[in-house]
Amino acid sequence: MGERMVDEILRVENLHVSVEGTPILNGVNLIINRGEIHAVMGRNGAGKSTLANVVMGHPAYVITEGSIFYKGQPLEELEVFERARAGMFLSFQYPASIPGVQVGTFLKKSVASVRDEPPKGRAFRKELNAAMEQLSMDKSFLSRYVNDGFSGGEKKRLEILQMLLLQPHLALLDETDSGLDIDALRIVAQGINEVAVNSGCLIITHYQRLLDLVKPDFVHAMIDGVIVRTGGPELALRLEDKGYEWLDVAA
Amino acid sequence: MIYQKMAIPPRSEHLWRYTPWPRIHPSSTDEVPEVDDVTFSLSTEHELESISHSATTHEDIARAFLQSAGGSNNRLIISEESEPIHIDARASGHVAVGHLHLDVKASCVVLIHLIGEPEWVGIHITGKVHPNVQFSFGFINELDSNTKFLRCEDWIVERDAELEHATLSIGGFRCKSDLRSTLNGTGSTIRQSVTANAVGPRHDDEHVEIHHLHGHTNSDLVMNSACSGSSHFIATGLLTIAEGANKTDASQVFRNLLLSEKARAEAIPELEVLADDVSAAHGAATAPVDKNQMHYLMSRGLSPDESQSLIVSGFLLNAFSNLSNKYLTEEMKTRLTVHLECELKR
Repeated sequence: MGERMVDEILRVENLHVSVEGTPILNGVNLIINRGEIHAVMGRNGAGKSTLANVVMGHPAYVITEGSIFYKGQPLEELEVFERARAGMFLSFQYPASIPGVQVGTFLKKSVASVRDEPPKGRAFRKELNAAMEQLSMDKSFLSRYVNDGFSGGEKKRLEILQMLLLQPHLALLDETDSGLDIDALRIVAQGINEVAVNSGCLIITHYQRLLDLVKPDFVHAMIDGVIVRTGGPELALRLEDKGYEWLDVAA
Repeated sequence: MIYQKMAIPPRSEHLWRYTPWPRIHPSSTDEVPEVDDVTFSLSTEHELESISHSATTHEDIARAFLQSAGGSNNRLIISEESEPIHIDARASGHVAVGHLHLDVKASCVVLIHLIGEPEWVGIHITGKVHPNVQFSFGFINELDSNTKFLRCEDWIVERDAELEHATLSIGGFRCKSDLRSTLNGTGSTIRQSVTANAVGPRHDDEHVEIHHLHGHTNSDLVMNSACSGSSHFIATGLLTIAEGANKTDASQVFRNLLLSEKARAEAIPELEVLADDVSAAHGAATAPVDKNQMHYLMSRGLSPDESQSLIVSGFLLNAFSNLSNKYLTEEMKTRLTVHLECELKR
């Protein structure tokens, strides 16, 4: 039992969430253990991104019922930055651009905050170079402003670069595959697989193509803010093939 | 007209709406006080020439006042390309005034760093950028936080010449700047940026005029301010395009970031276009810190204070993005970064 608790990264219990008074999640239950990859699929507006955002603590989302536990501790009291420092990471669907702030400066500050010590010059440069090489990113990225004027693919690569550097215990990936060409998808998938070995991973996606490269242990289908079916990788193939209508009937 | 005979401009005048003349004058408006010199010292072997005050009359009350007050009066002639020139402008005494004329005949960079603790400082800079010359100019106001500051500038940019003009306004208690440039020849260009950090009760009024007298001239003005405490920042611009100055391309963008409920900011760009075939754009925005930017940085482990400070720093630094001279840009950014780091530690 003790070991199971240590391995449990995320527990979501009967989670109900509203945005500006409109209910979005209507009783989500989910457990993610270390080393597991979970995929959540569903139509637009089903509540997938809401789930990721509320777990990360976005202030626009209000929990009206239910609880979230991270490594056995309730999350509600933790501010967003405290969640990040505790090892949680969200790869945003639409990352904010921050004009005037260079990527290099931002990465250093972020790594310093999460690791609770300033990164050491040469060792950090080496680590950064290796991660950028892995993602086929040019060094000129570092002097550009964060997400300012970035293409969709560049934004997603920067998200994965941050994930590689921050080495989270829980990685929430919100449509990280959108805007990526096939080569970029392969590179990004490699990064996700690397981090997923020692983390819990929640992938939100519309498409099977990412799941061909990042094998999920569990696939969840979400409809109207509820997980209506959970299965293995075969569920994703079925959803890709048949859509969500058959689940409407089942629900 | 001499100052003593001039009428006090009414607040209905655009230029004097937010900082009326009596509020920026060092004492009572009918007085011209005894002044000390603002001293200018150079980092290079260039020589500053001391010159006598000219008999030029000014229509503008601030310029007329500075002329009547006297103070130091120097001229710098740049006839050959050189290393960047740093000018330390030091104000001392009770009321200090300085005049500087730059005659720029060769491409170079000039950076003026103004410091001092008088109650009142007045500076009048004039300059001419000769044909085909690329000139980069930076002005850093780092006066004491109790000093009132009046600054006037008048630039003439000749045919095919380029003026890059950067201002970093981080000093002084009450500041009024009136910066005017005239694009006086075909193919002339000005790229101008003003960055202001308004903290505490600071009042900073920055007025920028750019006059396109000829066709095929270009101007690009960016003004960014961050306002905290009970500060008040005013950005007013006047862009004029003369009749026949076709193929002119001009833009003005003013952005203010409000960091407290008591801080205020005005952004008022104005256009007067008398030519037909031109591109003239202006925009203004005043807003608090973007919540999505805050959330993004906090989701990467930065505390709310760290996140806000990084956003503010980026916002202010970004005002220099329209400059192309690397040396000038880096110098301005470095000075701003040091200032913001000091602010954080206070």
